[in-house]
Amino acid sequence: MKNILKASIILLLILLTTGCTKDEWMNPAPITSLSDLTVFDTKERIENQVNGMYASLKSGQHLGGRFLIYNDVRCDNFLPKSSNLVTCFATWNHTVISSTNEVQNLWGAVYATINVVNVFLDGLTAAWDEGKITDFVTQAEYNQYKSEALTIRAMCYFDLMQMYSKPYNIGSGANRGVPLRLTPNKSAEGNDLAPSTVAEVYDQILKDLNDAEGMAISNYGSTPLNITRVHKNTIIAYKTRVYLHMQNWPSVITESAKIVPAAAPFTASSGVPNTLDASYADIFVSPNTTMESILSMPHTASSNPGTQNNLAHYYQSGSDEAYYLVTGPGSLYDAMDDTDARKVMMSNVDGNVYLTKYVDRASRTDYSPVIRWAEVLLNRAEALVRSGNTVTQGAVDLLNAVRTRSLATGAYTLADFSSAAQFYTAILQERNMEFLGEGIRNMDLMRLGLTIPAKTSSIFGTVAAIPSSAQSYFWPVPDSELSYNGLMTP
Amino acid sequence: MKKIFLLCSLLLMTGYLVMAQTNLITGTVVSSEDRSELPGVFVTVKGTTLGTITGPDGSYSIQVPANARTLVYSFVGFVTQEQEISGRNRIDVVLQQDLFNVDEVVVVAYGTAQRRDVAGAISTVKGGEIAKMNMQSFDQALAGKAAGVSITLPNGVLNNPPVIRIRGFNSITSSSNPLVVVDGVPVFTGNIGGTAIQNSLADINPSDIESMEILKDASATALYGSRAANGVIIITTKHGSGARTKVTYDGFAGWTEPYRLFDLMNAEQYIEHKNLAFSNAGLSTVLHQVNINGVPVDTDWADFVYQKGFQQSHALTVSGSSPSTSYFLSIGYTDQDGMVKKNFYNRKNTRMNVDHKINQYLSIGANIAYTNGYTESPNTGSSFATAGAARLAFVLPPIIGPYLEDGSYNLYGSGIGGMGTGLAAGLGYHNPAQIMDTNKHTTESDRLLATLSATLVPVKGLMLKTVYGMDNLARETTTFWSPIGGDGYGYGGYAYNWTGKDKRWTWTNTANYNMTFIEKLNIGLLAGLEYQRTVSKSWDATKTAVSDPFFETFAGAWSTAYGVPDGDYGENFYASYFGRINTNWDKKYYLEGSFRRDGFSGLSMNNKWGNFGGVSFMWNISNESFIANSSLSNLFSDIRLKLSYGRVGNMFGIGNYSSLFLYSASLYADQPTLYFSQAGNADLKWETSDKYDVGLSFGLLKDRLQADLNYFYNDVNNLILNVPQSPSKGIPGNSIPANVGSMFNKGFEFSLTSYNITKTNFNWTTSFNFTALKNEVTALAPGVDEIRTATASLETTNITVVGQPVGMLLAVETRGVDPATGQRIFVNAAGKEVLYNHAATNKWTYRSDGSVAPAVNTSNDAVPWASPLPKFYGGIDNNLDFKGFDVALNLTYAFGFYVYSGSKAGTRDQRWWNNSVEVYETAWKKPGDITNIPKPVMNDNVSNGSAFPITENIEKGDYLKVRNISAGYTFKNILQGNLRIESLRVYAQVFNAFVFTNYSGSDPEVSTNTDSNLAPGIDRNTAPQARTYTFGVNVSF
Repeated sequence: MKNILKASIILLLILLTTGCTKDEWMNPAPITSLSDLTVFDTKERIENQVNGMYASLKSGQHLGGRFLIYNDVRCDNFLPKSSNLVTCFATWNHTVISSTNEVQNLWGAVYATINVVNVFLDGLTAAWDEGKITDFVTQAEYNQYKSEALTIRAMCYFDLMQMYSKPYNIGSGANRGVPLRLTPNKSAEGNDLAPSTVAEVYDQILKDLNDAEGMAISNYGSTPLNITRVHKNTIIAYKTRVYLHMQNWPSVITESAKIVPAAAPFTASSGVPNTLDASYADIFVSPNTTMESILSMPHTASSNPGTQNNLAHYYQSGSDEAYYLVTGPGSLYDAMDDTDARKVMMSNVDGNVYLTKYVDRASRTDYSPVIRWAEVLLNRAEALVRSGNTVTQGAVDLLNAVRTRSLATGAYTLADFSSAAQFYTAILQERNMEFLGEGIRNMDLMRLGLTIPAKTSSIFGTVAAIPSSAQSYFWPVPDSELSYNGLMTP
Repeated sequence: MKKIFLLCSLLLMTGYLVMAQTNLITGTVVSSEDRSELPGVFVTVKGTTLGTITGPDGSYSIQVPANARTLVYSFVGFVTQEQEISGRNRIDVVLQQDLFNVDEVVVVAYGTAQRRDVAGAISTVKGGEIAKMNMQSFDQALAGKAAGVSITLPNGVLNNPPVIRIRGFNSITSSSNPLVVVDGVPVFTGNIGGTAIQNSLADINPSDIESMEILKDASATALYGSRAANGVIIITTKHGSGARTKVTYDGFAGWTEPYRLFDLMNAEQYIEHKNLAFSNAGLSTVLHQVNINGVPVDTDWADFVYQKGFQQSHALTVSGSSPSTSYFLSIGYTDQDGMVKKNFYNRKNTRMNVDHKINQYLSIGANIAYTNGYTESPNTGSSFATAGAARLAFVLPPIIGPYLEDGSYNLYGSGIGGMGTGLAAGLGYHNPAQIMDTNKHTTESDRLLATLSATLVPVKGLMLKTVYGMDNLARETTTFWSPIGGDGYGYGGYAYNWTGKDKRWTWTNTANYNMTFIEKLNIGLLAGLEYQRTVSKSWDATKTAVSDPFFETFAGAWSTAYGVPDGDYGENFYASYFGRINTNWDKKYYLEGSFRRDGFSGLSMNNKWGNFGGVSFMWNISNESFIANSSLSNLFSDIRLKLSYGRVGNMFGIGNYSSLFLYSASLYADQPTLYFSQAGNADLKWETSDKYDVGLSFGLLKDRLQADLNYFYNDVNNLILNVPQSPSKGIPGNSIPANVGSMFNKGFEFSLTSYNITKTNFNWTTSFNFTALKNEVTALAPGVDEIRTATASLETTNITVVGQPVGMLLAVETRGVDPATGQRIFVNAAGKEVLYNHAATNKWTYRSDGSVAPAVNTSNDAVPWASPLPKFYGGIDNNLDFKGFDVALNLTYAFGFYVYSGSKAGTRDQRWWNNSVEVYETAWKKPGDITNIPKPVMNDNVSNGSAFPITENIEKGDYLKVRNISAGYTFKNILQGNLRIESLRVYAQVFNAFVFTNYSGSDPEVSTNTDSNLAPGIDRNTAPQARTYTFGVNVSF
């Protein structure tokens, strides 16, 4: 009896005093994520972080799909099959409000990328300055990573300006822009930040691009990388777009002159040999790696934008939520020559005409184009004319280079344009045909302050035209930003 | 000598006379619950020490003096009964089971106690009550059974986990679900399925449950420390008792069907109404009826979604004991079809509970249960999925059908076709006939729930116990979508498999010591430690483009491996030390204190450990001499006043790695990536609840009437909120969790059990409980004055603001329909009335002067309109026993709350969607019409609340529900010998028999967002509740 009592008291003491609290149980490290303390430990991790910025940029909410889709369906070329609000119906009929998903999601996705960039830049710079990575990262690589990060940030701010602010041309940039977030956010601090003006945001975009240009790699020596990552030509090409929006024609000319030679065949004079591909169709066909693509967002079955975000879902005829082309008199479709290679990429299914640039709705592997060589040529052509308000042979040659690639018989002559205005109309129409489904149409209308034309659906009725003075000409700031950023203004 | 003889003779005579004056009385004692014989019942002659005990078959015989008037039958757990002898020789007795028996032993945290000695607020529900309800899981049957406990079945989909709230919502972003402890081991809870919902608590066979204790206040729950804030449900499974082997069989069969479906337009009404709407919109489209095989199409889509689902269930138990060993073995089989087609649940379960006493010091035990659960379900479609079966049942137009003339499915692309009726060629919504036939979602679980224990009693009063428990749950969910239509169309067929394992072990060691000092001072001590480790891992993969339609599983042949096969891993660990001391002086004054220190691995380095505890005081007034010795004791058999306070925690909102700053890896096309994915919070800690409780328990008229009154106040602080960040900061998920919020719940609980009639052949018991509850949020995050929550991320329906209950319904105020124009009257943020005309260019105009008004929307103009949390709720149970007949009636009720009927918005939507007959009959038609349904204009999704919620669709949810009616008859002692059937009860039962409510939707007891704290009270395209009829038998041998 006494022994049992003794034994049990000892047992009790043992049980109460010895824990089985193994330290690795109480302090487990996740095995499917990395701690922030280790992400600059190897070159591979830094490279992976660079890819991570692109992966964020190609979110289905942004350049992976929807940003392009918004910029097409809100204009005059497309009509929806479905009134599903998830698939951009409110964007199509200009009824988005500050709480609409499109408005919230694009803003969130773009700023998420901006923060990924800021966190990376901050971490990279600190690691470099502290000498932690100098053993395995060269100065050139360090510069290249930074240039990629800065370019991605510039593209993000440019796209925000495109959707959430009045275009630069209205009020010369004095209107409300967006908050400029240039430092990393990792804590609950710093919710409030006033929006900068449109001009201030553009200044930052140009600063980032100019800084990036000086540090960028000129050629990766790999076709896939040259198309899916930023190099020097990407930055210059993008600057032509930015300056075009600012209507800063001389700068468009100066920038484009860095890479566009004076005469045909207009293959890039330095860096990656970007050029027009002989076949328009090939640009959009797997593997999507023609030298025409300066930057595209690559998609694979394993890395894709998602069901209701991918381009094919919106344009491929089999999709219940597809958008088909306006085809009546006066439409772009109607105006195009049947032999035009770009019209060949449209097909009639059950009475509606669909764009066939993007077809892989099942695996969603169609690349999303961001900027193509054709745009650089057309940007330069337009700037050449607008800068002097006179049509020049050089401009016509550039326009023809793009046009005759798809329509051999369609070459213009200088004599075809009795006024600069005629040229503007022609080049706008050319861009509309050339970049249909690539998110350019809305940018073109807005940078020029043009009215977004009306359109009529047999199912959903008429959507009225939106003049540049209308509130719905651009999107409202999302609710959530107004709620949690005390300095944000609608 | 002669005198002596005479005296002896007289004595003998007297003896003889005495003997001659005794009577032999025999009889049987049975339980009121299941008519089973009760061995071991004391049968005594009142006022004497004469007595006997019933034998194994419940029978007894006793010689009683002729002058004996009354026999007393007493047995632990049953109401003591007196029987007037009145010359009878056979007295059979039905003992009423005593739910609130004063001597009853109740399960408390890490132990047991006499109910009368417990100061904490604990409700007990007997297993028998639950098993009788024939539900898939015990938690579904708890509704209305205990004060303060609210159970909401989200809808009638099979095996849906109910929303359990003990004394209200105690959190905002963390879980408000209670901790569930089975035989001492905290188990996994919640939905373990994917599209095919499966409640993890359904793995516990209701007929294996002996009792359930619901611990509500801090004094009762404090020993569960960091996980106690939402209350604790302790499940104790059955153990064998009695020398005779007892065999029971419970079986039932029945069917289930939906009730209160929407009354929708037929084809003729639809065509007339929509053509009017087209014309009102200025559109030229004209719809017309088409024929299929010569028959005009007029489809009631509910026929293709709902069914009468048949079900059956069988449970067999064998139990018994020897002096040293007791055992309880059970097997069960359940097979149920739901009210939604293709919704199917099958459970096979076994259990073995064994206890063995090795010697007078040491005993060991094992409870081992294995369950296999299998669920199949279509997408039953709460919220907005275009494949959602419940939604398809009322959205699809009656003028199209599921099949074409050649018998093939009516499909256009992935969705259903317009069939040339004038509607669009394809409608985008899926064809329910096709998706029901060809698509499949399943969940299968294998669960081992086991505890092994050893108890050592070295000296009287000291008990050392070690319990090792494991909860191993393996599960697989699968999805197959056919390529011919529906969700799989775009993929060319789609198969997805997910496999996961959750493994948890818990090791608990306790020492318990009870002693009595100086006669009247009783002291009980408990010390213990507990460790728990949980590891969860899973992987999943998708294949698309089926190579041959023959293949309908992931294992078949497919063309594409879609996406990257994914996986997940998580682990956490608790270490806890706890102790309790309880003392009482002469069973009059009770003082108890408990303490627990918890460490949790998910918290940051500096915040791993937290301290919790509680104190309580109880005064048993009825044991005071001024009551016990006065005539008051005739009235009051029990009066106890209880006070308690405690601080407990809620850690359900803390992830395994919430405090860390993390980077995740993914892909950029074929390149590996790494990106900032989690902004952690190193200061994160538990939510804390300070709980105060004042209680009064009393028994009147010899406990014939037993009542409990409790007032409680629960002050919840350090609520974890995902503090919203400015989206422009780009923080992953746009939020960072932080302990910033606070709220309180205060309320009043009352429960009453009345043994109205306790006669041998007639027993009638009524139990009533009532809870009044008030919830108020008192602080949100700094700078955050509201949290808006969306249903399925698409419709912002709820708002949480300081000064209001959590999850208020958010909507734009509407004031009916303008009689002059037939347009809906909206009220904007400025309080101005604005009309909406979908057909006009300027759609929004001021009602006052017709001038153009800014568009009304949720973000600017919606207001917190009403609370979806009931102010009062509870239940009423009536049980009658008359001779062999028994009748039970269970009611539940809830008052003082509102429901947002998004489904009503859907059935009034003026797109091509079908509408309710109410729309057909009462929509505005001409100036002067007074109605609440505006002039129909085709494609108008604003006026009736589809574009954003309007107050027109917020309705009072008050209801009284006849949850369960059952009637049975028990036959005794059929057959004899080895085949002797002790009792055989046959019964019929209706579950969800009636609901009395003014709510226009299917059922006000609804939760589209399941157990979300932030978005309760939403009825958005949710399947209705199911009414179930069953017929069953309970047999014991």
